[in-house]
Amino acid sequence: MDDLYLDNIDEFVNDQNKIVTYKWLSLTLGVHVNTAKQMLYHYLQQKRNESSGTPLHATYLVSGKCVENGSTYHKVSVVREDKLDAVKAKMDVTISVHVYSVQRAELKDSSPLYSTDYDAVKENLKNCNKYSAIRCAAAVPLSSSELQRAQEKALVPPVEKEISKPGFNENTSATSKPSAKQPAGIMGMFASKNASKSQESSKEVKTEQKEDFSLVETSKSKTASKANPMSNFFGKSAQKKADEKPNKSIKEEMDSSSTASATASLKQSQTSSKSETDVKEEQSKVSKALKVESKDTRNKTKRPEVVDSDDEKMLSQQKKRRRIKKPQPDSSDEEVVPDSPPVPNVHTPSPKKQVKREPVSHQEESSEVKRRKRRRVLRSNTFVDEDGAFVTEKGYVSESYSESEEEPESNSQAKDSSSLKQSFGKREEEKKEESEEDLCC
Amino acid sequence: MATLTRQDLNFGQVVADILCEFLEVAIHLILYVREIYPSGIFQKRKKYNVPVQMSCHPELNQYIQDTLHCVKPLIQKNEAEKVVMVIMDKEHHPVERFVFEISQPPLLSISSETLLSHVEQLLRAMILKISVCDAVLDNNPPGCTFTLLVHTREAATRNMEKVQVIKDFPWIVADEQEVHMEEAKLIPLKTMTSDILKMQLYVEERTQKN
Repeated sequence: MDDLYLDNIDEFVNDQNKIVTYKWLSLTLGVHVNTAKQMLYHYLQQKRNESSGTPLHATYLVSGKCVENGSTYHKVSVVREDKLDAVKAKMDVTISVHVYSVQRAELKDSSPLYSTDYDAVKENLKNCNKYSAIRCAAAVPLSSSELQRAQEKALVPPVEKEISKPGFNENTSATSKPSAKQPAGIMGMFASKNASKSQESSKEVKTEQKEDFSLVETSKSKTASKANPMSNFFGKSAQKKADEKPNKSIKEEMDSSSTASATASLKQSQTSSKSETDVKEEQSKVSKALKVESKDTRNKTKRPEVVDSDDEKMLSQQKKRRRIKKPQPDSSDEEVVPDSPPVPNVHTPSPKKQVKREPVSHQEESSEVKRRKRRRVLRSNTFVDEDGAFVTEKGYVSESYSESEEEPESNSQAKDSSSLKQSFGKREEEKKEESEEDLCC
Repeated sequence: MATLTRQDLNFGQVVADILCEFLEVAIHLILYVREIYPSGIFQKRKKYNVPVQMSCHPELNQYIQDTLHCVKPLIQKNEAEKVVMVIMDKEHHPVERFVFEISQPPLLSISSETLLSHVEQLLRAMILKISVCDAVLDNNPPGCTFTLLVHTREAATRNMEKVQVIKDFPWIVADEQEVHMEEAKLIPLKTMTSDILKMQLYVEERTQKN
């Protein structure tokens, strides 16, 4: 290959002071990732041999087998150059080592590496694996007929469809907005596939449950401190932010309470869209991307703060985002309901925290899951964040009345719907709901 | 989409909120990257869909939040020209000044549906640039401290002195030595232009730091 790429890399690294990761390079130059890795390696060699000019730093990806406490692990890690030899020595077998990134600055943590790749991947979302070395023949997007089939399965026959439709125009446009926005990150697959379909399905799903009307309105009104739709959104996030500071648990409460009502409608739109697998993948991506379990709730609060301009759109989108992350503790429920569409599969980091806090609620959830299926997903997540197991139950109950068979559920269900309908606009009211929940549960 | 003007206070609040959130993240990140405080007090959190380092120290966080809380009304009325984070050595002589120059277009028109997503992308890029600013700056001497200054247009500060936005958090006119730095090198870091906000970040660095 000709050496023009060396000049390109030189320009990126030295003139623009960018971090050049192999993934970014492959997407920018349009080459296979292995080629990009080699390019970076050659560039490093050349620059190091010259031994002049600005110092370069590199990070490497090391993968190999290591033995800890008697069991063998396959370890893959991104390490700084100065730690490379130490990490290689610790491994029994080093399977692969390659250059991960080249940059002028000495990085103190790995966040900029992720940032660098984020925008590059976002722009090429549909073909971000075009140059990838990982292949799976089975991983193809669903065809439209399969998509429709999956959606039909997910949908409960819509009865009040026509009635609610006019009232939900805003919401549907809101949900279609979030789906349009989804390329903005983890939701990429969602958006690209289901923009229109989720819109329709969300309409249908929403209309089915009148309570969700009030819920959606509630969430909107709760967050709406001013008439201006944009300031609604930001007013809420600003409030949220203010509350974040003093107490994490309060924050969580606020988060989940404010998202609780919107959860229903948004989840429905999620469930109705075909990409359940996508949702799972997104969730797993989200959980991996987060990397810090304990920050999960904080992340959720921060996320909605900078999203979109229109209130409902942003609300629904932010709720949608949160919700995807939230079904972590339900991972145990997945086995029970194999056919439920939006069952979140992989949420490894975040569930730990919530799981510890609400072990009781987990068991209750799993027993209820059998009947709840997708509805369960709608609500439970938000509740995991809040203190107390009851919050989680609340999610289930309000969603699953179509299938609920247990008495206590139906009782609390009735309470839920009434309490939810009454609560408008204030977080305190939400908290009141929670306390009511506590009483009934 | 609507065309909102500066007079629409709600929109001004929106911009001020975005900007103050960004400044908080940027300040924490600068503290982390320039090693003003030990890295142990920082933890990874998420903003604009990327991980950022934020401090856990309550008093530090409170100071930064109170400062930005007072700055917010100035930004809303477009009276804040620059927000400066000054890093000073042990003798309180500034060694670095991170200057965020802010300007808002007088007639804000939200013409694009993806406006905020675009702004998020731009802010993400600024955060990334702060992360790599090490490459263009010399190391700071140990024992540095920081302070936050706001340069306002016209006489906005007179109002601030009259009305204490936060109790027991007074603003004072900055010392001349903090505001001006001798032998300064100017290093531009990043510029962002969007419909609602224009921001430029550059660093004034003292030529000899030790």
